[in-house]
Amino acid sequence: MSRKPLDYSLNLDIGTSKRKTSLDLWIILSVLFLSVFGIFMIYSASQSLEMAFRQAIYLVFGFSLLLLISFSNFRKMELFYLYSYWPGLFFLILVLIIPSEGNETKRWIDFGLFTFQPSELMRFLIPVSAAAFLSRKPMISNFDYLAVFILTMIATYLVLLQPDLGTSIIVFLSGILPILLGGLSWTFISFGVFTVLLSLPVLWFSLFEYQKQRIITLFNPEADIYGAGWNIAQSKIAIGSGGIFGKGYLNGSQSQLNFIPESHSDFIFSVISEEFGLVGVASLFIIYGLLIYRLLLISINHQNRFAKILSATLSMILLAYISINICMVIGLLPVVGMPLPFVSQGGTALIINLVTIGIILSLRRET
Amino acid sequence: MKGKQFLSGQSILKRIFLFLIPFGILLFFAFLQILNLMIFQSEKFKTQADTNRVLKEKVFPPRGLIYDTKGRIIVDNFIRQDLVITPNFINDYSKYLSLLSEITGEDENILENVFYEKLSEIKPFQSFTLLRGLNDEQLAKLKLNSSNLAGTEINPSFSRNVVYGESSGSLIGYLGFASRKDILNNSNLKNFNDQQIGLLGIEKEFDEHLRGTIGYRFSEKDAKGRVLDVLAIEPSIKGKNLKLSIDIELQNELYKEFEGRKGALIAIEPDTGFIRAMISSPSYDPDHFNNLNVEKIKTLLSNKNSPLFNRAISGQYPPASTLKPFIGLVALEEKVISWRDKILDEGEFFVEGDERPYRGWKEGGHGEVDMEKAIAESSDVYFYNIAFDLTVSSISPFLEKFGFGKSSQLFKNESEGILPDQKWKLGQKGEFWFKGDTINMGIGQGYILATPLQIALAYSALINGGKLISPRIVESIDGEEEKFSSKQIDIKNKKNLDYIQEALISVVESDTGTAKNIFNPKLRIAGKTGTAQVKSLIDDKKYQEIRENILLRDHALFVGYGPVEDPSLVVVVIVENGESGSLVAAPIVKKAIDFYQK
Repeated sequence: MSRKPLDYSLNLDIGTSKRKTSLDLWIILSVLFLSVFGIFMIYSASQSLEMAFRQAIYLVFGFSLLLLISFSNFRKMELFYLYSYWPGLFFLILVLIIPSEGNETKRWIDFGLFTFQPSELMRFLIPVSAAAFLSRKPMISNFDYLAVFILTMIATYLVLLQPDLGTSIIVFLSGILPILLGGLSWTFISFGVFTVLLSLPVLWFSLFEYQKQRIITLFNPEADIYGAGWNIAQSKIAIGSGGIFGKGYLNGSQSQLNFIPESHSDFIFSVISEEFGLVGVASLFIIYGLLIYRLLLISINHQNRFAKILSATLSMILLAYISINICMVIGLLPVVGMPLPFVSQGGTALIINLVTIGIILSLRRET
Repeated sequence: MKGKQFLSGQSILKRIFLFLIPFGILLFFAFLQILNLMIFQSEKFKTQADTNRVLKEKVFPPRGLIYDTKGRIIVDNFIRQDLVITPNFINDYSKYLSLLSEITGEDENILENVFYEKLSEIKPFQSFTLLRGLNDEQLAKLKLNSSNLAGTEINPSFSRNVVYGESSGSLIGYLGFASRKDILNNSNLKNFNDQQIGLLGIEKEFDEHLRGTIGYRFSEKDAKGRVLDVLAIEPSIKGKNLKLSIDIELQNELYKEFEGRKGALIAIEPDTGFIRAMISSPSYDPDHFNNLNVEKIKTLLSNKNSPLFNRAISGQYPPASTLKPFIGLVALEEKVISWRDKILDEGEFFVEGDERPYRGWKEGGHGEVDMEKAIAESSDVYFYNIAFDLTVSSISPFLEKFGFGKSSQLFKNESEGILPDQKWKLGQKGEFWFKGDTINMGIGQGYILATPLQIALAYSALINGGKLISPRIVESIDGEEEKFSSKQIDIKNKKNLDYIQEALISVVESDTGTAKNIFNPKLRIAGKTGTAQVKSLIDDKKYQEIRENILLRDHALFVGYGPVEDPSLVVVVIVENGESGSLVAAPIVKKAIDFYQK
């Protein structure tokens, strides 16, 4: 085999592929707008200049990475793509052994100056290596799909051990989407769905008590309004009281009352709703919509199998974050740890999201 | 293995659209729900957000109690009434403050200062404590005026009561508010920013255990901040109780001996490391701090005798003659001299080429002395002689094994003392080490400094067969016992330890012993006297001058242990400017051992 794996292009006519030099300005602008807006909202929610400042530093660092990656040639990073799963796995195991102190969960590794969340890295490395693995030769067997599935399940399980239900769902999706998009036969897909449905009861019993409580709370919020239902009830009051135009920046009394413990991270959407109202929320939806649309467009137009699968998966994971986070904050889904992309506080998540955009932009440069 | 062909670009595209559908459905419902919340239910939520608020407020746990070794309570809690306010429910701050000042009789300026300082630290709708420990009159007046005081609550809180006050005060320490720096360094303190935490002594050292875990109260309040209903309570968890190794009766009894004196005492079990009494005098009543008695606190802080300073662990003194047994032991170990070798003591020691004599404390000297007699009578000339034959590089490392010059890790604010050697002198004084420095060190003078705790640990090691024990002040935390650790010091010849003990017995029991005044055949005590020079005496003329200035008088030291047959207690007593180790310090040690044996 003289050809490199990623050369297996759908149109087989590689010679005609053009290299673009421009970047998609719509994507860059919407990402920048969301991140900067996020920093202002973090300040409003936490009243902590330090926290906002930290996020700004992460943004500068992450955005530089975005530019750097977007101008790189993805074909030259093939080896990295194929094997990037393994360093990710290493960090997932490491975090269980030496978690940063002072937290009940084992989600972060402490590097002194900053902390780092390996699960966030993994949900980005899995699609990259899965897409590369499933495009490395012209004939992909069912065993290849099985291998990706098993490695995804291992990573998902390790994240569940932290425990972090929210990110484990995303890690799971990040491995399943390349399999589904890559062309697993419908027979296997239906079989899989059937198995998942059957195993739901087993899954229920393996959840932690607090996780069960959140699901019960969702279906019956009145049952435990001052325990697990507290956050949702308060979040709803915040969102509802925002009305059409909102109460104005820094004026969201509800959000600033410490009612919502994670108002600067997972619940930042309630702060936005309270302070900017329906107008603000609608604008946010439009910007997110524009971003996802432009990202998917790259996938749709691309001719290379690897690029197509990877950019579609990465965009859909962003979409998953957005929809699950919003549904959870407004009380449609149980509360799991799931930040709002680009906006919520969290250094690792922001940097990974910016790198994701960088990768998709680098794929775009060659259609 | 049968493989499959790639999907065509069209098929992948189809799949992308297909898997977008679930997200589309989710977002569609999300949009409906947002419209529902923000348009149709908006009025309801606005009312909820503005008028009847449900507030989540902290409930502070009672601090853990402190008991002595026999289960007697040393530090107790009592309930006091505090004035807690939520500024958001107050319309006019200055009007409110002047009304409050009128009702409670507190100074309006002070109230204002506290109010605005706290106001800048809290988030909206958080509350803070403005006045602590309201008296009955204030409570009655506040109740009468409650309708005029929106946003004001009287909440019970816990305060500390150090039962025996001064006698254990310097050991127990006091509570106060965490500084911003403390909170930055320890995020666990963030939640306690409106609550007193341990700042000194045991209260500080074991604060983490004593503090407990904060609980929360969810209560519904009206627009004026009145509680309509308490909806739920997440209970706080009480701090853990400490059982100290201190025997509080012994502590109280011995503290009396220090009345009007400055000094320190440590009584420790040589086998277990349990400290049975720890005294620093003058001491203070921690409740002045705990109850924020501003006048008393000011007096304490400006007192020149530094009552807040725990001399037993942080005071650094020349060990003086109490160091002689260790110098003797090094000499025996290094075979510089043997147990029965005699040296002629004529009261002065000369070094060739040096005009100035090294003087002994007794004019004319002690005559011919061997090591036993030299320790019993505390001959300086004998120890000048053997120190002359030793070097600082053999003495200092040996003393370090006995715990000199390092912290015992009992308290974080313990002093390390000074264990000098060539390198230390060059670094600190910029001078080389002279032979004369070694000779002075031979009688525990010169640069060497030790804390009473270090001396107690070193003597414990002398009599327990050479084990340097880690001291313990807490026996158990909520029933969980504290661990014991010790380190064996390597002694070349164990017989040497027996010799030294014989000599320490002679100090009390021989006719010429320096502490024969405390001899009691029924309860035999051994030990060593010491007189630490505050100012070195160069000529006799100055001596009278010095005697007249109390602060320049020598410190009196005695280290004793007993009963000799099976020592249960090692006691170190230092009386600052007390002059005589045998007449002032030794009787206190005797009393301690007598009392403990009862």
